[in-house]
Amino acid sequence: MNTHQAELDTRGLNCPLPILRAKKSLSQLTTGEILQIRATDPGSVKDFEAFCKQTGNELLSSSEVGGEFIFLLKKQ
Amino acid sequence: MAKRLKAAERRASILAVAKVLFADKGYHGVAVDEIASRLGVSPAVLYHHFPSKEALYGEVLDTLAAQRESYVDAALQSPDDFGSVLLRMTLVFASSVARDPDYLKMEMLSTLEGAQVARQFFESHWKSFSDYIEYSMRELSQQNAVSQINPRTAGLMFQGMVREALYAKCILHSSRYQSTHLPDLITQLVGLFLNAIQYKE
Repeated sequence: MNTHQAELDTRGLNCPLPILRAKKSLSQLTTGEILQIRATDPGSVKDFEAFCKQTGNELLSSSEVGGEFIFLLKKQ
Repeated sequence: MAKRLKAAERRASILAVAKVLFADKGYHGVAVDEIASRLGVSPAVLYHHFPSKEALYGEVLDTLAAQRESYVDAALQSPDDFGSVLLRMTLVFASSVARDPDYLKMEMLSTLEGAQVARQFFESHWKSFSDYIEYSMRELSQQNAVSQINPRTAGLMFQGMVREALYAKCILHSSRYQSTHLPDLITQLVGLFLNAIQYKE
């Protein structure tokens, strides 16, 4: 299991805010550190895949429990 | 395998025809018999794929949701200040509505009909804008980069302005705005909005 160094709560927010806030949070981390993001927007699954593809950060995991999505992103 | 593909094709054709009819007449204005007749099949064929008209309507909305526009590009491109991101998002949304105006017609009719599922669906689409405007304006007002306007009211103003432009261009095809291309109209309106909130980059 990956431990994370920072957390971001974007529950209740629609795209693009979770993406913009993730970008800001990642900018405060150093390479290799992990950010955990919580979201409720079902579109966030595709959005974070696209985000990581475009920014080069690594999507370590993406999971859903009871309508809540949890993503682990590793800063590159 | 061929049979499964045929079933998938049938399902897709039902959804396509149902979407056009729901967009023209609303949920209550369309009977299952009419959808079946338009497809040249019996109502039993429809019920084989969808248990009820409500389920079919829900699937039409789900299909629209799956085709939903992504704002990831709009958010990540440069410049990344509030005004530039808002303009790119609005242009993405407008071009997506222009490609499929049935979306807007269904929204309009569902508002009048009070269909809860549809209302939630369409509100969720506008929420991307209201969330972004509210959250950003709160941050920007702390830096005195926007005037002290209630961000929620500003979001409502923005939504009304953009929705009206989309109605005029994509549904009513109003002659008054015929000479202005949709992206130009949207760019002008976003500029007016940014002026109204006294946005300083």
